[in-house]
Amino acid sequence: MTLLGLDTSTAASSACVLRADGEAFDVTPPPDRLAGPPRHASELMPAVASAMELAEVRWVDLEAIAVGVGPGTFTGLRIGIATARALATANELPLRRVSSLAALAAGIRENASAGLALPLIDARRGEVFAALYDGPEAVWPPFAAQPEALVTRLREGGFKPLAAGDGSLRFRGMLQEAGIPVEPDGSEAHVVSALHVCRLGLGMPDEPPGAVLPEYLREPDAKPQQ
Amino acid sequence: MILGIETSCDDTCAAVVGEDGRIHSNVIASQGLLHARYGGVVPEIASRHHLELVDAVTADALERAGARLDDVDTVAVTHGPGLIGALLVGLSFAKALAAARGLPLVPVDHLHGHVVASTLGEDPVVAPYLCLVASGGHTFLARVDEPFEYQVLGQTLDDAAGEAFDKGARLLGLGYPGGPEIDRLAREGDPEAFSFPRSAPGELDFSFSGLKTALLYAIRELGEEAHSRAADLAASYQRAIVDALAARTRAAIEREGAVRLAIGGGVAANSELRAAVAELGVPVWVPPVELCTDNAAMIAGAARFLKPLRYPDYLDLDAAARLP
Ligand SMILES: [Zn+2]
Repeated sequence: MTLLGLDTSTAASSACVLRADGEAFDVTPPPDRLAGPPRHASELMPAVASAMELAEVRWVDLEAIAVGVGPGTFTGLRIGIATARALATANELPLRRVSSLAALAAGIRENASAGLALPLIDARRGEVFAALYDGPEAVWPPFAAQPEALVTRLREGGFKPLAAGDGSLRFRGMLQEAGIPVEPDGSEAHVVSALHVCRLGLGMPDEPPGAVLPEYLREPDAKPQQ
Repeated sequence: MILGIETSCDDTCAAVVGEDGRIHSNVIASQGLLHARYGGVVPEIASRHHLELVDAVTADALERAGARLDDVDTVAVTHGPGLIGALLVGLSFAKALAAARGLPLVPVDHLHGHVVASTLGEDPVVAPYLCLVASGGHTFLARVDEPFEYQVLGQTLDDAAGEAFDKGARLLGLGYPGGPEIDRLAREGDPEAFSFPRSAPGELDFSFSGLKTALLYAIRELGEEAHSRAADLAASYQRAIVDALAARTRAAIEREGAVRLAIGGGVAANSELRAAVAELGVPVWVPPVELCTDNAAMIAGAARFLKPLRYPDYLDLDAAARLP
């Protein structure tokens, strides 16, 4: 099947078209994009349009849209999901939800064929969104934690996974001190690749667009606007 | 037909409007009560609800208009000013909807929407006119020579008029939103019982923050008695707000030589304000309440006067909490 995938869980906006013939056209930015301010509104739709153009695919050729639902930056996730839903509605396509941490773990596995993957997305306020994967299996489902608590939990479980993602870049020192290896700074494994969103999307069920919501993992701050 | 989408504050709105200004549908999903217990709009909660509602509200607007996406020629969307996270939900949805169909997109200034709300419907106001917009989020006077633009003549320097109603209602122990509550109670009271300040900063600007402090002091001074004088307090407080709005509007009409007046924003639903502006000597347009409060029909309505962006020129369009 031919599908479009996208992810906006970090500062990067990524999009990819995976064609039915297996060819992938991935517009995922390089890892240095993670350090800049998020600009999903101005970067996501151009990325989607270029992936479609590169793949020489028209809207009517798509059979589903896969979207990274986080966890990650709240505003980014909403931009990605609102975009995916409207694209799906306008073309009468189903949506498929993909965990952004699962997509990140898939990228880590490409670099470390064996062993455990620890995808980490920066959750701000000194926390990370984390999960632990053994192959495609989630040993720990996604959760939010302070890095100290994460390191303790790993030590208690006797896990030494390979970490990647903007959360691992932020807390590299603490992780490495605890014996958790982190992908080198320039590694593409730090970016949630839309290609992996597409691939994981192949195995997910179809959902009506309006049903797909972000995986926030955190209650909203109840502070009124002043 | 124009499909309008508006998510700048706490109402998720979609509407279908014809090029002729006919409103085919105007759907507003209000989150007002959700925010009431926090005493104001909580941006993150508003953004989450916009995302939950935007698909259904848009589908509802199309259905009520008896239209399908195929019938939509242009998509219009609010790109600012407002809560940035809230704006981005509607903007992202609108951009993707337009892009997937190769439709033109019109980014609309939310305030421009309020200003042209009276140009919609059966009896549209025709430019040139003067416009008073007063709501929980904004209070300003604008001059409209051509409907594609407006010129702000004066605005509030602190609280918006609707905010003054909300804060006053809270001080009086009334419900939220405060405007209708004070309006109701004021009918039983004496508007001259208390003399609250009508501050007059700048020639055509407004200021309401001192008024709410004056009400607070009056309530404190009355002590136990405040409860039995609530109607008088509400009536006097409302009179002070309405007087300030009407006096500035009168001054603007005289200075600009305006021949027509339109009012908009949620406070335009206030009965005393409606009565006061009717006395200003020029014909007044007051749109129905669903065009006064935040809505998408006014956004689609404003888009009729603006130049659309063609696909793919709007793909990188961003929202802005403040517009230049
Ligand atoms: Zn408004």
